[in-house]
Amino acid sequence: MALNSVVLVKQVPDMNAVKIDRASGKPVMGGQNVVSSYDAYAIEEAIKLKEAHGGEVTVISLGAPGAKDVITRALAMGADKGVLLTVPDPNTLDTLSVAQALANQLQAMTFDLLLAGQGSDDYEDNHVGPQVAELLGLPLVSNVNSVEVADGGRHLTLQRDTEDGRQILEVDTPVLLTAISGLNEPRYPSLKGIMAAKKKPIEQVAAAVEPAGDRITWSDPVAPERTVTGTVVQGVPAADAAKQLVGWLKEQKLI
Amino acid sequence: MMAEQNGGVLVVGEVDNAGALRPISFEMIGAGRPLAESLGQGLAVLLMGSGIGEAARTLGAAGANRLLVVDDERLRDLTSEAATAVLTQVIQNLNPTVVLVPGTTAGRDYAPRVAARLGVGLAADCVGLAIEEEELVAVRPILGGRVQTVVRMPGSRPQMATVHPGSFEKAAGDGAAPEPEPVPVELNEAELRVRVRETVQGGGGSADLESADVVVGGGRGLKEAASFGVVEELAAALGGVVGATRAVTDAGWRPHHEQIGQTGRTVTPRLYIAVGVSGAVQHLVGIQGSDYIVAINRDPDAPIFKIASFGIVGDLFEIVPALTAELKAARG
Ligand SMILES: Cc1cc2nc3c(=O)[nH]c(=O)nc-3n(C[C@H](O)[C@H](O)[C@H](O)COP(=O)(O)OP(=O)(O)OC[C@H]3O[C@@H](n4cnc5c(N)ncnc54)[C@H](O)[C@@H]3O)c2cc1C
Ligand SMILES: Cc1cc2nc3c(=O)[nH]c(=O)nc-3n(C[C@H](O)[C@H](O)[C@H](O)COP(=O)(O)OP(=O)(O)OC[C@H]3O[C@@H](n4cnc5c(N)ncnc54)[C@H](O)[C@@H]3O)c2cc1C
Repeated sequence: MALNSVVLVKQVPDMNAVKIDRASGKPVMGGQNVVSSYDAYAIEEAIKLKEAHGGEVTVISLGAPGAKDVITRALAMGADKGVLLTVPDPNTLDTLSVAQALANQLQAMTFDLLLAGQGSDDYEDNHVGPQVAELLGLPLVSNVNSVEVADGGRHLTLQRDTEDGRQILEVDTPVLLTAISGLNEPRYPSLKGIMAAKKKPIEQVAAAVEPAGDRITWSDPVAPERTVTGTVVQGVPAADAAKQLVGWLKEQKLI
Repeated sequence: MMAEQNGGVLVVGEVDNAGALRPISFEMIGAGRPLAESLGQGLAVLLMGSGIGEAARTLGAAGANRLLVVDDERLRDLTSEAATAVLTQVIQNLNPTVVLVPGTTAGRDYAPRVAARLGVGLAADCVGLAIEEEELVAVRPILGGRVQTVVRMPGSRPQMATVHPGSFEKAAGDGAAPEPEPVPVELNEAELRVRVRETVQGGGGSADLESADVVVGGGRGLKEAASFGVVEELAAALGGVVGATRAVTDAGWRPHHEQIGQTGRTVTPRLYIAVGVSGAVQHLVGIQGSDYIVAINRDPDAPIFKIASFGIVGDLFEIVPALTAELKAARG
């Protein structure tokens, strides 16, 4: 049996390097562009399944030409080939535009598993996975943190955590899964992997996209105002600090 | 049957897998009511699930003009395909101006599908909603909650948004109790491809996280699973429940469903006590609806102190047991 997977990967600015400009309240993206963190779990899972069951892993990213870097990273981890869907201005696209462009590309491909991240690090819509599933008419299981393959890759048993506890779900392939932390430990590319990636194919295609237009618009993000002036107790013995806190809790009528 | 083409605001409620209303259901009415008033239109609430008659009546009494009920055993687990089919049909019948979906695990699965099916925009995980010039204006946090953006959907009908749990006042009810209107919908078996085999309830009363009055959140500062004992004792002394940061759940010290924050649960207690928690933005978005935040951390520069109403700088292993003892003494 073989299990062919396609993984949707988004390039994002490194969230650890984002600073808020104090004067304007606007975010300043420093640092490098990286693979959105949940997408790394999706890539890792596809590679693990390939190693266990055979098959091929294809990575697709839609973005500016620089998004090629996240594909190269996935190839270095062990994916087999990549498709870069280029767009002139990603900022004109809402999640439905992105999902439509990805679905257009996927329509012509065959796969058993389609994997995405649950949500991107930067805009965190959590839409693209479900919307691609909708446009392709696929079942969807989100927030997946465990995948078990049965019946020669035709059937999956999945786990995820919801407000009600841990759910165990059954579904036949093809299916779209969105990955979350806890699914696996994404590997670092080895030197050998990095060398091998250079020879792996990356197809570059101009994406078939429709901008969002007035379907949805958004303003430039700014930091919300925050007002906090709290009491801080420092350098006193634990018992005294505890007494002060209990006194304060009483004052606020919290106990 | 709903033949009216009256616009209006449609909000969706949600029950848990035992058939009880999730707290966010009341927040949905709290979020939708002012919008309906600004638009001068009615507010309809939709509840879908299996065996939900009583839950629906309770929700209807919280202040909706219409109460739409889709009660079907195939909706027990609210899988995305089934819920998408139902909500799409209800929207097509009702023709609302605005549709609000809870930002729960299920809601975040089906709302994007519905928006894609209808070809409309969807504002994700909103913390503020208003009407300006007859249009929905939605505020949503991005970049880990550090900044906010304002989203509008002038070209979309309906204008859809998912609602971040804990961001809106719960509607208390205005006495009006609309009659439940059972809504016939078509569910195509071919669309019900995901089967929930079982749901294993997490231990530790964590199901109460969202509704708890007191939550004690433990972070990596606790060093190991075993030291959560001090957190549990503190929570018990306050009649509260235990939550955790992602660092903790990723390490396996606590179950994943206790994770609070951007990718976990959102809590809105009277009192949140952060123990050995640094205060990363992704954690803060899950606790910022708390009335009071108390922080115990040995690093005076930990970001958690920036939003704490009361902070103690020091070693949690000394302070937390002292605090528990003091609380017990105060209770007598
Ligand atoms: C300030 C601001 C606010 C916005 N608010 C909204 C909004 O409320 N609603 C809305 O519809 N749009 C919104 N957008 C637009 C949206 O951010 C873009 O469409 C973005 O390209 C996709 O959304 P996301 O990053 O949130 O993806 P998510 O839906 O969170 O992505 C989930 C997963 O889908 C896959 N994926 C996503 N994008 C790509 C890609 N380019 N290539 C390959 N795989 C991908 C990845 O696996 C990713 O982990 C906003 C944009 C900005 C700048
Ligand atoms: C996309 C994304 C989503 C995320 N979602 C979430 C989420 O939903 N929830 C979440 O919590 N995190 C989330 N995170 C992770 C988040 O960024 C932080 O890494 C995490 O919250 C840190 O957890 P922590 O505070 O327990 O650990 P740390 O940041 O390691 O903090 C430990 C703290 O304990 C203190 N400490 C240590 N020893 C002691 C002692 N003896 N006494 C007192 N204090 C002590 C330290 O000073 C430190 O401040 C997310 C990250 C990303 C990228």
